[in-house]
Amino acid sequence: MKMNRRGFIKACGIMTGYAVLSVNMTKVAIASAMDFVGLRQKSVYDADANSKIYKLRKSQDNPMVKKIYDHKTGFLHEGPCGHMSHHLLHTHYVDRSARVKALKAKGFKLNF
Amino acid sequence: MKKIEGVMYQANAPKGVDPDSIFFVQVDATKCEACGSCEEVCGTGAIQSINEDGIRQVIDPAACMNCGQCLSNCPYGAIYEGISYVDEIFEKLKDPDTVVVSMPAPAVRYGLGESFGAATGTYVGGQMHAALRQLGFDYIWDNEFTADVTIMEEGTELIQRVQEQGKKDARPLPQFTSCCPGWVKFAETFYPDLLPNLSSCKSPIGMLGPLAKTYGAHETHTEAKKIYTVSIMPCIAKKYEGLRPELADSGFRDIDATINTRELAAMIKTAGINFNSLPEQKPDPALGDSTGAATIFGTSGGVMEAALRLAYEVLSGKKLKNPEIKVVRTHEGINTADVKVPGFGTVKVAVASGLKNAAKLCDEVRAGKSPYHFIEIMSCPGGCVNGAGQPLDPEITASLFRSTVAKINQRFRARKVTA
Repeated sequence: MKMNRRGFIKACGIMTGYAVLSVNMTKVAIASAMDFVGLRQKSVYDADANSKIYKLRKSQDNPMVKKIYDHKTGFLHEGPCGHMSHHLLHTHYVDRSARVKALKAKGFKLNF
Repeated sequence: MKKIEGVMYQANAPKGVDPDSIFFVQVDATKCEACGSCEEVCGTGAIQSINEDGIRQVIDPAACMNCGQCLSNCPYGAIYEGISYVDEIFEKLKDPDTVVVSMPAPAVRYGLGESFGAATGTYVGGQMHAALRQLGFDYIWDNEFTADVTIMEEGTELIQRVQEQGKKDARPLPQFTSCCPGWVKFAETFYPDLLPNLSSCKSPIGMLGPLAKTYGAHETHTEAKKIYTVSIMPCIAKKYEGLRPELADSGFRDIDATINTRELAAMIKTAGINFNSLPEQKPDPALGDSTGAATIFGTSGGVMEAALRLAYEVLSGKKLKNPEIKVVRTHEGINTADVKVPGFGTVKVAVASGLKNAAKLCDEVRAGKSPYHFIEIMSCPGGCVNGAGQPLDPEITASLFRSTVAKINQRFRARKVTA
């Protein structure tokens, strides 16, 4: 069978259609439409539930957490939110609205 | 400019520079095709058309929260990163007088493998630790350890806030999480009136930096001034956080360098390490060990679930038998849940990813109509596993034909999810 120009373009169109559709069909078949981000999220929860990777699942059970907060010998012996914690592990925040206000005054449109 | 895992980077390692003056992401106008994908995903509207051709630019660092979703979603690879510490880190690794310590975030281990041919999301934590050791890091400390510490601090803060309600000078509720640097800058820029609601806790990396140079120095008998801390993140905004002037509580810069998953992958390749044949190794003790509660920081709803695993036990005085609190797990958008805690009542929580969703919850708080105790916010849809420092989704950066197909597929999938 001889392929003319019109026929060739039509065939290309159909093939493209199938390419797009088949990708979707497979995806749907694979299960519950897991996307790229969903796959990574699932992997995180699988690791959390896998006792070969994480023996413990609660922060307060981590032996190194117990060590650092130990009432007698711990580096943070006053416990969470104690003085040393406040010095090293807590912070303060800065109002940064002025520069955005200046941008808006210049005529820039932002979402907020 | 240097190409790293498909993304262009300026080889610029700033020191003592005001991070508010840096474009952490910017559009290369010569590569921009004016498709507008970046503008669609930008939460704040910082990236916009600058001329009649529709060429996009980040208009000002003040308007950009550095989340980098524009970069991840650009089909033309037209958006580049403004800073990279890779060269400096290689120099420090060679220097015998510098003690270089690694601080990889939870989400890095769910993306790094993709740069070496693994399936999307494959967990490669053990190989990651081995690779860091082979690269010459002196101590393989892990940001997951301080994710556990963050839960102790932030969970305790939440319980304190709940208990002090009605008293004089009580800190307000709801308490917002403060782990995500894009979200923190967003709150500072657009909702400064809500800063008292933001947890005063630093992020896990904000905690590991100073702990490495104080506690870590003490535990390993190392002079603090010799320690060079390398934050390894799935994120671009963490580069901004690392440069915040106030993060110097150890007496030194708490965080000396910040790179992301793509840059770590490139370092491993440059060093000629065969990643896939590496054995699984553990991090170094004291600042390395972690739990499942720490690893779930990498996904939307994870910080909430980890905090509830603590709050439940503290408030009820009982053991939480099943640590899985699946109602707070959030694929995208906003999720709210009531969690019943015996002896306390109902803990009301909300979880959101994406800054436009964050703004909705902020507006509720501003209007005094927010019913929640605790709100978790992440800038990137789905959380840190989808951070803009992770290896790119190959579908988005594929050829124009494939990216068109990808777009159609995305629509198709979107319909499927809601059906």
